[in-house]
Amino acid sequence: MHEIQLRINGKDFQHDVEARLLLVHYIREKARLTGTHVGCDTGHCGACTVICQGRAIKSCMMLAVGADGFEITTIEGLAAEDLHPVQEAFRERFAVQCGYCTPGMIMTSYFLLQGNPEPDEEEIRRALVGNLCMCTGYQQIVDAVKYAAERIRRVERKDP
Amino acid sequence: MMKLEDILVTRNWVGKPSPRKEDSRLVRGEALYIDDLNMDCHHAAVLGSPLAHARIQAIDTSEAEKLPGVMAVITGKEVAEQTRPIPGRAITKTAIQYPMAVDKVRYVGEPVAAIVAQDAYIAEDALELIKVDYELLTPLVHISDALKEDAPLVFEEAGSNVLLHDVMEHGSLEEAYKEADLIVQETFKIQRYSSTPLETWAIIAEYERANDSFVVWANDQQHGRSIVNVCRCLGISTNQLRLIVPDIGGSFGLKLAIWPHMVILSLLAKKVDKPVKWIQTRTANLTAGSHAPDAHLEIELAVRKDGRILGLALKDTENDGSFIHTTGIYALIKFATMVGCYNITGTRAELISVVTNKGPTVQNRGVGKPAMIFVLERMVDIVAKRLGLDPSEVRFRNFVQPEQMPYTTPSGEIYESGNYPECLKKALTRVGYEERKKQREEERKKGRYIGIGISAGIEPGTSNLGYYYTSRGTPEYMGNADGAIVGMDFDGNVQVLLGSMDSGQGHTTTAAQVVADMLGITLERVSVESRIDSLVSPFLGHSGVYSNKFNDVDLGAVIMATKKVRDKIRKIAAHMLKVDETDLELREGKVCTGKGKGKGKAVSFQEVASLAYKQILLLPEDLEPGLKEIAYYRSPYTKLPSRTDFNVQTTHSNSVHVVVVEVDVETGMVHFLRYVIVHDCGRQINPGIVEGMLIGSTVHGIGASLCEDFVYAEDGQLLSSTFMDYLKPTFLGLPRLEIEHMESPCPFTLLGSKAVGEGGSITSLAAIANAVEDALSPFQVKITSLPMTPEKIMKALQH
Repeated sequence: MHEIQLRINGKDFQHDVEARLLLVHYIREKARLTGTHVGCDTGHCGACTVICQGRAIKSCMMLAVGADGFEITTIEGLAAEDLHPVQEAFRERFAVQCGYCTPGMIMTSYFLLQGNPEPDEEEIRRALVGNLCMCTGYQQIVDAVKYAAERIRRVERKDP
Repeated sequence: MMKLEDILVTRNWVGKPSPRKEDSRLVRGEALYIDDLNMDCHHAAVLGSPLAHARIQAIDTSEAEKLPGVMAVITGKEVAEQTRPIPGRAITKTAIQYPMAVDKVRYVGEPVAAIVAQDAYIAEDALELIKVDYELLTPLVHISDALKEDAPLVFEEAGSNVLLHDVMEHGSLEEAYKEADLIVQETFKIQRYSSTPLETWAIIAEYERANDSFVVWANDQQHGRSIVNVCRCLGISTNQLRLIVPDIGGSFGLKLAIWPHMVILSLLAKKVDKPVKWIQTRTANLTAGSHAPDAHLEIELAVRKDGRILGLALKDTENDGSFIHTTGIYALIKFATMVGCYNITGTRAELISVVTNKGPTVQNRGVGKPAMIFVLERMVDIVAKRLGLDPSEVRFRNFVQPEQMPYTTPSGEIYESGNYPECLKKALTRVGYEERKKQREEERKKGRYIGIGISAGIEPGTSNLGYYYTSRGTPEYMGNADGAIVGMDFDGNVQVLLGSMDSGQGHTTTAAQVVADMLGITLERVSVESRIDSLVSPFLGHSGVYSNKFNDVDLGAVIMATKKVRDKIRKIAAHMLKVDETDLELREGKVCTGKGKGKGKAVSFQEVASLAYKQILLLPEDLEPGLKEIAYYRSPYTKLPSRTDFNVQTTHSNSVHVVVVEVDVETGMVHFLRYVIVHDCGRQINPGIVEGMLIGSTVHGIGASLCEDFVYAEDGQLLSSTFMDYLKPTFLGLPRLEIEHMESPCPFTLLGSKAVGEGGSITSLAAIANAVEDALSPFQVKITSLPMTPEKIMKALQH
């Protein structure tokens, strides 16, 4: 067993874990944050995407012990009370169907918009290519990300 | 049938793209799928067979049992001792199969044993300690392997690997052949694929010793039937099983096959003192979590020189793998769309369901109708080529005309409404058909290969469930129906309990929109529960999220239950206001007097609810207290199944897809230039949801057309068992879908709505294939199989 400390959504966690425990299982089972989902065993689907040390990562591809001392944001930590503009955009633009991929999609989109506040369609599609959605066919997700970018820019410009 | 204006008192919500109520939870990560339920559980892991066809000589679980943390082990022999076999439905031969392999394994991944341990990691470790001795048998992979005279039998007791073989002829086929100028024949192959919901199968089972009963949480999508199946299999009564279905991460039909695992989990739960949780791995899901079968379809059209298609003969051979509960269904459901959008007056169908050592099959999105429309729409293009006609012209000459509606197909399917010619016209206009053809010719001169493909398809909804048994006799289930409970609470808000679950379709929002407009209140005042608990949900054997039945029977039940509540509200209000009920109107959460005497008086829903729930002595004497009503609604036009005249499904949406592609002849890659859909699903309740369903289902079809393929080696091993090699459509390489709608209300449903959710997956395949073949016409390439991978296109170009 290995003692690890993590900061998730601004809260400190400390546990003894097995070396083989995946970070996604740590987040879901030890931290009890179940918004981060598991959709495959192989790192292809992106449902487990979280922000780790400022970057979007697939948390099924990292061991919990490898994240010792790291700071992580999950879907639950994205907004305190009101929805984050990306979450709001997904809701308004019908970018959600079953919702299983949604937290991962939102975290990857959030990461994209942090680095590129005005992405075009091609940039959005390239940034999200590691996230699979089986329901929507992606088109409304692309539209939601564009819309979220506009909303964030509007807020920053303090437009009504 | 009630008229629309009698159902809706306001039009504030129905027809509007209201953002989905459920999404506030989903975008926050607050959904509760099975694996998210905060329960103290042991964890199960299932040992899948590593071989496709083998006899089990011995299983030694002693090492696994010794591993610290392992709580219980079960093998197929023990499962068989405690259960009854899985029932077949469509098959006409006896085939005995249990939820776990007993004497032999029939496909890679078939459950052979299962472990319960304190955590999922230990359970997986323990699987590796189970020793199984197998005696290898000849694996049957292809249909041709299983049909060989000396082929080993997948189910010895059946005496054959063909479990359903039927021939049915309908209408005037003989005359069609006599009148025809030419017979056009072709054979097509469609591959195995699956819509792969992102959440895999997941179950928690708990045993309650005190009353010898089970509570099962599962992401099952047809709970009524599953309860019956699990109880029959376990040999218990239906009051010994409570089934709870929380949020579901997609289903697409694949979760209709989960119930045998509920049996296994129930048996495991009985062995330990805690609930047992099982979350299927993705690899197990792709291997044994069910597919759409691969199939050979031989089709013949009897055609007149002017392009009129008079008769159709189909020989459909389905590789149904080895799950006997669904074996045969893909063949029989073809009657729902056998003649597509066309006025074809005679049909003959030879239906053959073959079992092999491929993985199990189940009703994947569209169920056989994608294959049927694929071959039919490919054939229309082949006919056009043979006769030197434009593919659109052959379609115009054969469409069922709007004035023929309701139109009955030779086998008895009733197309209730629609304007198929107009739908194609609109699509051709949108894409700029004539300009695209010119463009194609010009680009070809420059060495760019552009093709235009058209497909017109029918999207049936609401299964008339008895069709499964067409070849067998009296069905166990027939017709279709669902239930709903609608209640008004103390404050005049409304709660709805649906009879069936949602797995991504936005049912709670759609139902709320209808209820809000039936009562003249805001959407915020209506809460809808689509999560299922068999103790309280108003379900039937038909209940479930499948066959696009929601807009028909599920909403029908919601409407009838809401009407009962509304009638009672009006009765109480009339009594309170001392006016005649007919003088009352519902407005903004109040019951108001209208034109008659006593005009201008009103009582709020809250005041009405006070009488119903609290001041019950003020109610009219003959009225029960309370304001909660249950209703069941059945699809009114389901015929009793018969071989001569039956309707497989009862609503029929339609669409035309026109696709423009460029094929790179150096790489075999297909690039989309345009993708136009004109779609008619009758009256839309939430256009935002409809659009999402349409785009999503079309992308499923694009996946099936271009990349998705469960590839098997000759020894029956699945080679594409992860998302690395089972290729799903991603954000890249997809077209932006251009969508237009028509609205031909369905005369058979209360709101005039029809099926939404499978259409794109049905109509897209041929549109893309026709476009690719058109693009490659200078090379004489003929598309007769899917998927059209770059490798296959390059091979075809080299021939």
